[in-house]
Amino acid sequence: MLRKEQNDLLTQTGPGTDCGKLFRSYWLPALLAEELPENDCPPVRVKLLSERLLAFRDSDGRLGLIDEFCAHRGVSLWFGRNEEKGLRCPYHGWKYDVTGQCIDVPSEPEESGYCRKIKLKSYPLIERGGVLWTYMGPSDRQPPLPEWEFATVPDRQRFVSKRIQECNWLQAMEGGIDSSHVSFLHRGDINSDPLFKGAKGNQYNLADARPVFEVVESAGGLYIGARRNAENDQYYWRITQYVLPSFTMIAPRGNHSVHGHFWIPIDDENCWTWSFDYHPIRNLTDAETAAMRDGKGVHVKCAPGTFRPVANKDNDYLIDRAAQKAGRSYSGVEGFGMQDTSIQESMGPIVDRTKENLVSTDNGIIMARHRLLRSIKALMEKGAIPPGVDTAHQQVRSAAVVLPRDQAFKDAAREALMARPGMAPASV
Amino acid sequence: MLSESARVTTAAEARFRINEPNSKPRHVKVIALDRASEAVVKHLAQLRWNNASFFIASAFAGEPPGHGFSMPGWLSDLAGRTKNLIDEVSSADLVVMVATAGGNAQAAALIGEACSLKRVDTTGLILGGASATDAMLSKTLSQLRPWSLMLVIASGEDYIEDMLIALRA
Repeated sequence: MLRKEQNDLLTQTGPGTDCGKLFRSYWLPALLAEELPENDCPPVRVKLLSERLLAFRDSDGRLGLIDEFCAHRGVSLWFGRNEEKGLRCPYHGWKYDVTGQCIDVPSEPEESGYCRKIKLKSYPLIERGGVLWTYMGPSDRQPPLPEWEFATVPDRQRFVSKRIQECNWLQAMEGGIDSSHVSFLHRGDINSDPLFKGAKGNQYNLADARPVFEVVESAGGLYIGARRNAENDQYYWRITQYVLPSFTMIAPRGNHSVHGHFWIPIDDENCWTWSFDYHPIRNLTDAETAAMRDGKGVHVKCAPGTFRPVANKDNDYLIDRAAQKAGRSYSGVEGFGMQDTSIQESMGPIVDRTKENLVSTDNGIIMARHRLLRSIKALMEKGAIPPGVDTAHQQVRSAAVVLPRDQAFKDAAREALMARPGMAPASV
Repeated sequence: MLSESARVTTAAEARFRINEPNSKPRHVKVIALDRASEAVVKHLAQLRWNNASFFIASAFAGEPPGHGFSMPGWLSDLAGRTKNLIDEVSSADLVVMVATAGGNAQAAALIGEACSLKRVDTTGLILGGASATDAMLSKTLSQLRPWSLMLVIASGEDYIEDMLIALRA
């Protein structure tokens, strides 16, 4: 459980909030690069950390993320004309560049310099790894550019998707480090999903339904190790990475790609679930990419032209009670991503953690909250840079390994838990 | 028409959730396994808890088993009163064993066996994991791992307090 004030602290991320300030310490994924495919393309509405913004790519290819609304009469600049190195409001022609600086107010004499006195709030927007990233914190604390391994491999080795999740970011993120739910909610899908099936590690999973967990603090967050019995007096370990504030990476299976998530607050009752797959040493196959586009693995199929899942709360997630009863699906909801989303959204927009009853196997969640609270306190009281900002903290991998029983996975799998360019992931 | 899921997951609907206790108190027994963790547990004991009690098994770490070792006397409460392990485990819902990386956590085997016998969950907590050498950590891990259903290696002592609060101890 959390006390109410702790729950409020961790779930409120709007301007001026403490957790919002934590998020504003990082480069955050804001859009897929394909959402702004060419110069002068239509602008895109973006809501992040409870702020309404507009992203656009100007005539010179420069990226901008600015206040959505015109400073004149409050019109949404989504209706604007993106042309000649700026975005022009269609109402009275006020024009802005990618920094939010007003560069033309047609009704005022140019020599008056009036437009120079108008500037919308803006944030830097950069492209890396098929993702447009923004930094929404103070400019004097802007960190180095993100170095997550998935964003640094060649394009053919990576697939990234995003979708709207209709609940607070924390309950979504906590699902990503709640390793013990896999044996229930996702039961049966490991050996059928094309992006997971066929791995030897799956046999260990299915043979030992009672994994034992170890939670270890790392520089940027946590390692969560789930161990199962393996042959020859060894353990099969699946090690999840969590890096503050909301990056998780799940252990791979066989020669399948490595995958993970970011959960980024849209506002306090909605978040973006970002999902990535990549392979450090080979291109993804056409079949893999097609499966990811089709919502397999950690991805979800969205309604055409939107980022809202086809299965959503409006259609009860297309739950199939007959499949559930017949044992073809444990939850009745299809796909890993929607199985997670359906139960997380069912908790309500912001779950009341004063009522929960955690057990010992929830220590991954408890530790993540502990580190978040500790980091927020250090940031607010001492201005300390939070874990996960340092790019060294971002160069991590999840791993699936078989180790002798007496070894600490953090030490025995030390190299496997680090991003190593050109080296295959540790996977069973 | 709104689906059932859409209708009931609004903030407005959350107001109608039943506001009654949904659990009974659980008894958590926290045991320091070595001298260094003893100080941590003593500090914790001074805080306000619902159903947590605190013990010391560090005497075990200093005794070579089999040489005049007194089984009844190795577990005590913080006032130094000898406690019976089986009695304490029998009335526990969860036993948390606290050790320091590199410390002697031999008592984990006895406590773990009693918990296994009585079907009581165990959590092992190793402090100082960040500053310990691999060898120090491995030694303590090898003593705790067989007897812990959940093992946590924490860098700071403040984690135990947060963990116990989270577990409603």
